[in-house]
Amino acid sequence: MGRNDLPGKAAPRPIEQPERASADPAPVRRRELSLVPPPPASGEPPHPSRSSLRGLDWFIFFLADVQTGFGPFVAVYLTSQKWTQVEIGLVLSISGIVALFAQMPGGALVDAARSERLVAAFALGGIGAAALSYALLPIFPVIAAAAVLHAGASCVLGPCIVAMSLGLVGHMAIGERLGRNARFASIGNGVAAAVMGGVGYLLSPRWVFIVTALLLIPAMIALSRIRPVEVDPERAHGGPVESTPDHAPVAVRTVIRKRELLILAGCALLFHLANASMLPLMGSVLTMRSAEWATMLIAGCIVVPQIIVAAVSPWVGHHAQVWGRRPFLLLAFMALLLRALLFATVSDPAFVLAIQALDGITASALGIMVPLMVADITRGTGRFNLAQGIVGTAVGIGASISPTLSGYLTDYFSASVAFLGLAGIASVGLAGVWLLMPETRPQD
Amino acid sequence: MRIGTISGIGVTLCLAAGALAQETSIPRTPSEPPSLARVQTTEATEPSVTVLGSRQAQSVLGRDVRSSAGENMGRIVDVIVDRSGRVRAAVIDFGGFLGVGSRKIAVDWNALSFDRDTTKRDVVTLELTRDQVKAAPEYKDKQSVVVLGAGGLQSMPDW
Repeated sequence: MGRNDLPGKAAPRPIEQPERASADPAPVRRRELSLVPPPPASGEPPHPSRSSLRGLDWFIFFLADVQTGFGPFVAVYLTSQKWTQVEIGLVLSISGIVALFAQMPGGALVDAARSERLVAAFALGGIGAAALSYALLPIFPVIAAAAVLHAGASCVLGPCIVAMSLGLVGHMAIGERLGRNARFASIGNGVAAAVMGGVGYLLSPRWVFIVTALLLIPAMIALSRIRPVEVDPERAHGGPVESTPDHAPVAVRTVIRKRELLILAGCALLFHLANASMLPLMGSVLTMRSAEWATMLIAGCIVVPQIIVAAVSPWVGHHAQVWGRRPFLLLAFMALLLRALLFATVSDPAFVLAIQALDGITASALGIMVPLMVADITRGTGRFNLAQGIVGTAVGIGASISPTLSGYLTDYFSASVAFLGLAGIASVGLAGVWLLMPETRPQD
Repeated sequence: MRIGTISGIGVTLCLAAGALAQETSIPRTPSEPPSLARVQTTEATEPSVTVLGSRQAQSVLGRDVRSSAGENMGRIVDVIVDRSGRVRAAVIDFGGFLGVGSRKIAVDWNALSFDRDTTKRDVVTLELTRDQVKAAPEYKDKQSVVVLGAGGLQSMPDW
């Protein structure tokens, strides 16, 4: 990363540190940098400009488009490039392992950065390079390197988006902002699935990656619309820190030992253990049942939840501020449990599509609550993104075991038994949230 | 991820099977003497050379498969050979959308034809319909291969 980022932790703080008690405006040096009003002291809510907020919207939209191209479709594309199953499996395993182990370093890097925007730009560049490599040079060493680059960059971009959001709007408005983020990400995913499905069908699988690479241009433009001075690094890292004498971030082990964070990570692990393989499993059941419509149905099963997420997320984000986080987290697990139970018993295509609406509800509630609760829990630590990385690692573990588990259950018993097994995991998660997870919404 | 874990476990076996498949997966028409395709020699003599024109023979991995009615039947992802090296089945990656929900199904090699279609495009045609293929058991590495042929299911015993 750039020279501006790494010295972050060691850099002298006073410039950024708002004096909380005094009503003084932010330090003078800020004013010289830009005509935009500087971020106010932590007492009052920040007022980010329209340009920054819209920039963030579209950045999230285009990034979601790009990430859709790197989904399960990679295997289809590499197959079309005459890759053997062994090589494809190896590349997917490599990127899975990197995606898992780079979460915490990625979060720590974002915490250390003085400009989240610059970090995002570098990570985006990495993803662009990866997409181009996929499109232009599908040979093993290049794709393996590109997969590593993509996985690593994604581990930085994930926390970076939430960090930029927090840096822009602050803790008091982050619920609404995360709701809006989820809406744009979801519209991006849905549009990308439609466009890339069409491109893959009409042109060739390779074109999917060319389109993916091209989408990075608008993503970069959107990123440039976010005004760097409005993204307060202190806030973006879950600060300001008042518990340590020099306002340095608290010790890493203090964060790791936070009980709520570990419970949340455990619940997120269980959630993804139950959730990650549910749609692919249903997809393969659909492929088995109806030959004519399976492809359209699976496309519908991908798009329906995206529409729901786009529709309800701002509402969820707003009401999480009003009602608290716990109700929505419970709702997410209940909808997941219900969906698994229904999938175990129902196979009528129309019902399957209707049940997928529950996926939208869980995706919206969980997608907003997890970063929101991490932000609550780490408020005032300066280690928000490391904590996101910890939860992200748990998510990755759950999501990577899930297909193996449901595949095993499907092979030795049946798809229904697999869905019941996933329902069992979801109910353990629900119990965990119910019994152990406290409300994290700040009282003020 | 699913493919990743399954293949990851079976790396060694697949490598062996892959090597075997490469050696024999050159499409052999009955008119070609088998010895021409296999050039493995133990003597120190010059290796024999066979030239197959690009119109005569082509690689099959990653090729699109269509039914005789033109339905999309997926792609060839692997080729199954028996102990004698005879090609028995092709594994096709069938169905799904953008890689979600696709299933790997072994279809009888004899049910595939590699002629050019009326539009002079190189196509692999499978003498089965989507309806016939959809419910076939999924192909799993290291397990008995259930091969779907034009005459119905047949099972290849474990090696």
